[in-house]
Amino acid sequence: MNVEAYISSGILEAYALGELTEQERVEVEKNLAQYPVLKQELALIEEAQERLLMKAGIQPRASVKANLFAAIDATKPAAKVVDLKKPDSSLSFWRMAAAASIALALITSYLAFNYWNKWKNTENSLTELIAQNQRIAQDYNTVNERLDNIEKDLKITNNPAFNRVVMKGTPNAPNSLASVYWNESTKEVYLSIQDMKQLTQENQYQLWAIIDGKPVDAGVFDGNFSGLLKMKDIQRGAATFAVTVEPRGGKTSPTLETMQVVGNVVKG
Amino acid sequence: MEYLYDHYSAALLGVVSRIIKKEELAEEILQDVFLKIWDRIDSYDASKGKLFTWMLNIARNQAIDKTRSKEFTKSKKTDDIENLVGKVDRKDYTELHVEGIGLQEVLKQLPDEQRFVIDQHYLKGYTQAEMSEEFNLPLGTVKTRMRLAMKELRTLLKIE
Repeated sequence: MNVEAYISSGILEAYALGELTEQERVEVEKNLAQYPVLKQELALIEEAQERLLMKAGIQPRASVKANLFAAIDATKPAAKVVDLKKPDSSLSFWRMAAAASIALALITSYLAFNYWNKWKNTENSLTELIAQNQRIAQDYNTVNERLDNIEKDLKITNNPAFNRVVMKGTPNAPNSLASVYWNESTKEVYLSIQDMKQLTQENQYQLWAIIDGKPVDAGVFDGNFSGLLKMKDIQRGAATFAVTVEPRGGKTSPTLETMQVVGNVVKG
Repeated sequence: MEYLYDHYSAALLGVVSRIIKKEELAEEILQDVFLKIWDRIDSYDASKGKLFTWMLNIARNQAIDKTRSKEFTKSKKTDDIENLVGKVDRKDYTELHVEGIGLQEVLKQLPDEQRFVIDQHYLKGYTQAEMSEEFNLPLGTVKTRMRLAMKELRTLLKIE
């Protein structure tokens, strides 16, 4: 832009005189912001205008001043209230309504999301609690079952009709220890392991009763159970119980070299 | 606010009076002008010009609005005062005018054609466009003269 030409056009004077249209005024203000020279020029024009008009002033009567300040005092507190009652407040009403609607929508969305979240959390906790409850019930059943077993075992071990045969480790397994509870009259045999080593998958322990010098099969077992294990019935007359290691399923006659524990029946 | 009034009321009444010739009505408008200034002082933007220019525009617009209102048209008819906005004969004006003595001396130093536009605008309330129409002068000429006059006034009023 040619600033000189712009100044010469007299548009700044027209601006200071307040003779421009709204559009022209905005244009001038834009240029003023951009060119400090224009601002300087305008300041000089305004200064001249002000001095001139100050000289051309007409002193108003004193009553004007009194009236004015009385009017200002009167409007002071009410000014803002009156503003709200302006007739063109319909526009601002719709603006307010729109703003309120948006605010309400936002708040509602937030609350909905919030509640959905809480509901989801609650549902998760509930699922967790149900699972926990089931686990506890299971544990209770397990414990109860074990207690039943122990009670049953206790009845056997405490029953004087059962003869306890302690089988001690042979040189094959010096630390092993197991017991047999044998009721001679009912022929029932129960086995309890104190300490026997774990076997490979192919092998099992086999319990034997020696009757009249002959081994009689009393059943097979794995080395990892607790409590009493019911074995095959054994006829009257057994003198010794022993355990050998045999292929899974057992054999008809013991492999004596693998004997783990052995104990004699003590008649009492 | 009181400072503004004490300082500028005379200048603004001068402006209003040149548009509204009736003293009482002019003073009434002056009061409206100051109420408006008081109401809108927050919206004054110093980057867009001097405070006086801002107040001057409020005063001028208020006075011009009044000339366009029904009330004014009616009173104009009944009172049979000026039928053209901004026209007032020199006698009326000087009667109203007490403070403007120094002004005449300043204006006398301007070349005739420059004094004419200043006179017409500031003392008689014509816009540049109205002058152009009323006195059959091209608008560009009015603007140029106004610009030269304002420049000359700067020197006369020792502004630099």
